[in-house]
Amino acid sequence: MSEQEYYIPHGTYWPIIGSIGVTTLFVGFANQMHGVEWGGSVMGLGMAIVVFMLFGWLGTVVNESVNGMYNKQVGKSFRWGMSWFIFSEVMFFAAFFGALFYARILSVPWLGGADNNMFSGATEALETSKYIWEGFQATWPLINTPGAIGQSGVEFSSGFALVDTWGLPALNTGLLLTSGVTLTYAHHALRKGHRNSLVFWMIATIILGVAFLGFQIAEYGHAYHEGLKLTSGIYGSTFYLLTGFHGFHVTIGVIMLTVILYRIQKGHFDSDNHFAFEGVAWYWHFVDVVWLGLFIFVYWL
Amino acid sequence: MGYLVIAIIVVILFSLGSALIGMVKGGKEGSDKMFKSLRLRISLSVFLFVLLMFSGYMGWIEPNTTMLPTQ
Repeated sequence: MSEQEYYIPHGTYWPIIGSIGVTTLFVGFANQMHGVEWGGSVMGLGMAIVVFMLFGWLGTVVNESVNGMYNKQVGKSFRWGMSWFIFSEVMFFAAFFGALFYARILSVPWLGGADNNMFSGATEALETSKYIWEGFQATWPLINTPGAIGQSGVEFSSGFALVDTWGLPALNTGLLLTSGVTLTYAHHALRKGHRNSLVFWMIATIILGVAFLGFQIAEYGHAYHEGLKLTSGIYGSTFYLLTGFHGFHVTIGVIMLTVILYRIQKGHFDSDNHFAFEGVAWYWHFVDVVWLGLFIFVYWL
Repeated sequence: MGYLVIAIIVVILFSLGSALIGMVKGGKEGSDKMFKSLRLRISLSVFLFVLLMFSGYMGWIEPNTTMLPTQ
């Protein structure tokens, strides 16, 4: 195949299998939400079809790549595909960090009467939050949404000592940053063609990722036990959405790293040609940075 | 202190972005750029983490550990 030609894949049935899988998954999910008996099992079936499709489709792509059917143009399209995926991921997390920022810096202080706004009864600083929730004090973390509770005269914020910043969150940050270091060593080993050390550092990275997930589950158990739930005001919602989606991304990252380790064992990469590794490595570094941001903005600043 | 932390985060984000540009570019040059940027970003991240923990230990910054006192 010449350098200019674009590789056109043969007809394939994987897209329709993917559609069937996703449809089954959501029909099951929707019915599960409505308490229908068969909802859960249909959801499981849909998930199984999606996983089957992923193995089949991505396996086909890997085979085509290994058999040298792709030229530089195809490689370039993979790189662009990855970067658009990354763009959507960055926007996704930007939205949740934005929600945290907006609630914490803007909307909660406004409700408490900050600035010159309609909630606070114009310029009379002492009559803060007179029109909406009288007596509302802007505090952070806000764990009780003012509303029915506030109007019935109950305090807006009840407090509790949450997780110790020095405990699990710091440990988890250390674990994840260490996994970033081990992955960097793996990357270096791959570029130098040192196979054994590449495998060693990859395994270390995967173990650290799994350890992070284990401690994160323990942290959730602790926080939930202390009374911090998804419904615990704007703080509870943003805390669980951000850390929850982050944990989900770490899970995906661990799966991808494991697949890459398998492909390393199969000898799919060499020191000059390892885009799949690069894509997954960047993803892992990104997830690492997201956690660092979470650790700093939730626990420190 | 807060501003220093934010400044380091911004540099980390820049190096992550630079790694992405390297990855999209590909080839020997892009691969080098990607690796160097990622190495910078992990070094800065580890430095920032150590700085935070040390500052907290020294009492220069206070963590958001404790919620409001119970009513």
